[in-house]
Amino acid sequence: MRPVTECHHQPWWRRAEANRLILPAALVAVLLVAAVGLGSLGALLMQAPNMDVSRLWQEPWLSAILRFTLLQASLSTLLSLGGGVLVAVVLARRPVFPGRSLLLRVMEMSLVIPSLLALFGLVAVHGRQGWAASLLDYLPPGGTSSPAYLYGLSGIVLAHVFFNLPLSARVMLQALEQAPSAHWRLVAQLGLSRGSVWRTLEWPQIRPLLPRLAALVFTLCFTSFAIVMTLGGGPGSSTLEVALYQALKYDYDLALAALLAMTQLLICLGLWALAMKAGSHAPLVVAGGTVAGPVSRRDAHGWRRLSDAVVVLGLVGLLLPPLLAIVVAGLGGVPDLLGDGGIWLAALRSLAMASGAGLGAVMLALLLLAGSSHLRQHGRGLLASLIEGSGQLILVLPALVLGTGLFMLLRPGLGSDLQGYALVVLVNALMALPFAMQVLRAAVTGLSGAQRRLADQLAVHGWSRLRWLIWPNLRRPLALAMAYGMTLSLGDFSVIALFGSPSAPTLPMLLYQQLGSYRWQSAAATALLLLVLVVLVFAVLSALTRKLPRYVWRPGSVDTTGLTSGGETATAPATREEEP
Amino acid sequence: MLIADALSFHYSRAEPGQTLDFCFDMQLAPGECLAVDGPSGAGKSTLLNLIAGFLTPATGQLSWKGEDITRLKPWQRGVTTVFQDHNLFDHLPVWANIGLGMAADLRLTAEHRRRIAEGLEQVGMAEMTERLPGELSGGQRQRVALVRALLRDTPLLLLDEPFTGLDRANRETLWTQVESLKRREVAVLLVSHDVEDVEALADRRLRLVNGRLLSSVQ
Repeated sequence: MRPVTECHHQPWWRRAEANRLILPAALVAVLLVAAVGLGSLGALLMQAPNMDVSRLWQEPWLSAILRFTLLQASLSTLLSLGGGVLVAVVLARRPVFPGRSLLLRVMEMSLVIPSLLALFGLVAVHGRQGWAASLLDYLPPGGTSSPAYLYGLSGIVLAHVFFNLPLSARVMLQALEQAPSAHWRLVAQLGLSRGSVWRTLEWPQIRPLLPRLAALVFTLCFTSFAIVMTLGGGPGSSTLEVALYQALKYDYDLALAALLAMTQLLICLGLWALAMKAGSHAPLVVAGGTVAGPVSRRDAHGWRRLSDAVVVLGLVGLLLPPLLAIVVAGLGGVPDLLGDGGIWLAALRSLAMASGAGLGAVMLALLLLAGSSHLRQHGRGLLASLIEGSGQLILVLPALVLGTGLFMLLRPGLGSDLQGYALVVLVNALMALPFAMQVLRAAVTGLSGAQRRLADQLAVHGWSRLRWLIWPNLRRPLALAMAYGMTLSLGDFSVIALFGSPSAPTLPMLLYQQLGSYRWQSAAATALLLLVLVVLVFAVLSALTRKLPRYVWRPGSVDTTGLTSGGETATAPATREEEP
Repeated sequence: MLIADALSFHYSRAEPGQTLDFCFDMQLAPGECLAVDGPSGAGKSTLLNLIAGFLTPATGQLSWKGEDITRLKPWQRGVTTVFQDHNLFDHLPVWANIGLGMAADLRLTAEHRRRIAEGLEQVGMAEMTERLPGELSGGQRQRVALVRALLRDTPLLLLDEPFTGLDRANRETLWTQVESLKRREVAVLLVSHDVEDVEALADRRLRLVNGRLLSSVQ
């Protein structure tokens, strides 16, 4: 029989002492994020000692921009969340219909579809020469010629709703699906009406999400760049982010840039502070998971089928035509694609940068979450929240501010294009960090209290705990976080617009150049390639981690053991490591 | 001999009806099974958690065969706990769940594997080595946990309502396993409300009331 204290004589990396590395590593990550985030903001502020806050209300064009930014973001948020609730409730009520899975995948992608790409599709459908315009020509009386709703406030809100309604609906649907399946069965058994289901089950599931989801959507719309750049114009329909870009790129008015950045930051921070106070910690990204089997509900029958179908068709009508337009137009440009070496170089450049940004985001997220989880386990909740909060800080910091601040900080040393692109990768990684953290949070803090106690008692620590207990549940969220990081970087246009070189463009830059020079066919091909890459990144990373690892048993009569995990075979030594 | 000498613990917050302060005095000899029962919130889990090292006592001492183990970490104590549930990791098959108790890095030797197969055969689960916990019944999961306890070979076994919800046949199989551990000089502390379990296994009984171990029945 083993003596009482035998078990703790293990190499340090297999023992709990390995946990001591977590905090310093997390601290390094916090310092990096804080240094880059606050440092870049500080650098901008230092360069603008004459920042005059009164300009915001004394200069009419500035106050017009501020009003418009608030108006478009509020409208977009209201419509996205309102529509999102409607769609989520209908999709929860209809767990089975043809194409549902595909629709959900498309909704999940809405967070990462490059904005320039979506704009391309939206223009093809809703622009003056678009599909919708052709349909409107047939409307009585005498048709409506050249609809201009895609430009100005209506167009900006439409584009924002195109992105954020599916995102909101998908996150809310996830919350609805996480209600215990027994509750849904109870609802079915009691034959509750639609109103009663809403009051007793749906609203209580959705309500805790709303404050943070509203803050997220508002922030995304408030800091939106490419959409407003393309569909807006003039102080009448411009936003703080675009004004910031113009102040930096064209006027080099650092005082104005700092003022705009601070205004944007304070508004978003204030909103997030309110949201964090009011909301739960439910994830704001879709982290997978499955629904319980379909339950036949009383409120899903009769005329309600028709109203649900209208909602689903409305969603399909919003989402699919722009994506189809990209594919249809892109197919026409395939000959251009095959003959143009530049586009493939741009694709390679984009993929390389996206891989770097994805890896960076995942690494930083892992370190921050592991540190915060470690602190939380040791009763340091406040410090843990601060560490997690540092990762979320990036969400409210305009990407342009991050990039410009860094540029100013590193300017003496920045010379080559390569350094500029490295900066873009770093900023892209930081921009993806909040989303990567959302995906990874549950998996990193993975072991429940009971499992942790069991692992402690069995002396499963350090590397062994990671390998056997944490990794199997972490690999899929890790792939998803990597996919978010990569695709957000693939579609980045705001940071690359500042630091990219026109002679060595990424795909979004190339797309922008082609659209600017009216090379419609080539632009269509580039848009299609970008869409394919985004879909491929998700599909490949998802396929690689879809299957759970299978651990194969080898009977004791053989000398070597074969542990098969995810298709790999590891051979362990024939004899057990020497017992101390 | 396991000796708890004025082992105390204090909760700063408690549910209504739960005790805040605990102080335990008890002895448990190798090969003996001591049953502890008491109302909910009386401190049964607190006692087990203190002995297992999941909680650190405010005062008092816990010793095993004269060695002070009060401040040792859970993995340094030579204690195995079988909980009422959550004894297995859901993503690992039966053999790996047992193997973790023998080699924390799961680098199992042929001898380990032979013993795992033998242990499973003893509880009638020889064909289930590759099953996941989700594919087992409650009784089978508890049997796997007990096989791990058996093969871990630690001198102290803590049983926290391990037979709850099991049918008679399953419980009898598990009683046999616990009896075999007792014969191998393992000290067993059993927390159970069930009179049959206690009568089948316990050599002595203690009752927990308001955080104190009160009566002892031979």
